Amino acid sequence: MKRVGVLIFPGTNSEEETLRACQAVGLDAALVPWTEEPRVVREFDAFVLPGGFAYEDRVRAGAIAAHDRLMTAVREGAEAGKPVLGICNGAQILLESGLAPQLDGATRAQAGFTRNAPLGKYRSSHVYVKLAVQPERCSITASLPQGVILPAWASHGEGRLAARPDVLERLERGGHIAFVYCDETGATTAESIPNGSALGAAAIVNERGNVLAIMPHAERDAWTYMHHDATRERARGKGAAMLAPSGGIALFSGLAAALSAA
Amino acid sequence: MIRCLEVALAIPDNEARTALATLQRLGIALHGLERADLYRCEVDDGAGDGLVATFSGLETVYNPNKHVLRVRESARPGPGEVWIDEIDAEPSRPQAEFVRIAGRTLPGVRSLERFTAWRLTDSAGTPAAGDVVAAATETLLCNAAFQKATR
Repeated sequence: MKRVGVLIFPGTNSEEETLRACQAVGLDAALVPWTEEPRVVREFDAFVLPGGFAYEDRVRAGAIAAHDRLMTAVREGAEAGKPVLGICNGAQILLESGLAPQLDGATRAQAGFTRNAPLGKYRSSHVYVKLAVQPERCSITASLPQGVILPAWASHGEGRLAARPDVLERLERGGHIAFVYCDETGATTAESIPNGSALGAAAIVNERGNVLAIMPHAERDAWTYMHHDATRERARGKGAAMLAPSGGIALFSGLAAALSAA
Repeated sequence: MIRCLEVALAIPDNEARTALATLQRLGIALHGLERADLYRCEVDDGAGDGLVATFSGLETVYNPNKHVLRVRESARPGPGEVWIDEIDAEPSRPQAEFVRIAGRTLPGVRSLERFTAWRLTDSAGTPAAGDVVAAATETLLCNAAFQKATR
């Protein structure tokens, strides 16, 4: 069975729920601390970088972790075509490391998730994101329906996509904006974007399509009790209904499908 | 009139130490790295003298138990220094931030820019050479996608 490494840096804090979401879709997933031997890390078939505050966001969110030796194995894996999923702080790390969007094979950061607009405020709110590319553009979304809408929780102070105008144009034109923020109906409006992100972007995919950096936490809306609309209210008092999967689990099902197809 | 205020930690700076360790591990020939918050203010004539007192009262910016606050002689980076700010920072943000922090605007301040200043030194304790500063800036201290480095 293919194995997924859920990476932990000092300050990561979403590893347990990310691990649970991976295991819930049948993945053989394990936590991998930053102290793990590189030869052990290299044996995993896919990597998930969870949310948190790796290295306390020192210098910039994700900047120190991007240079952690653990990332050497992730970089090698990404170059070999292994799926890599970064969520929230994990997404920030992927952009700081240059693994996404990696235009023209660049090895340096070409974009970043920086302070929310307006006023750089931390935001924790329930959001929806819509698949904005053809599913097969990214191996992790290849099994999802076209235009699928996923629920998730935005929980960040630095989630606004920022890059030079020419890079933003290439991201849009080249199909790198994998998910955009939207409302429950799939409409992207100013109100549905929680952080002022350029192009309404919630997720970036690399050129090759195997590295996905997504800001909102799908793993925090993976079961009904985590959900935040009438579905949860209808399930209240019904244990089995509360424990039923909700929309966010689809992201992890996508990862499982990508590994099965590999 | 331009006034530049520097707020630096008087206690060990864990962020600077982490950045230094990372840069050294990546092969950048550095011996020391210091960090400070800079506030470059355009002030009305005669308003500059009260600026230090005003900043001293902003307790989320300056804590006398752990910070040193001083007026810099120059409003430009010195040798071995690089200043980092965001390319698309909202122009009103610093002022709005102060409004929120202090519950009032900074008297006599027309505009304010905020930077993170990094001061790099070599093994002799002197300012690091330009190529070393450039390498550290490109490698870690500045994400050129959305930040600007001034040296």
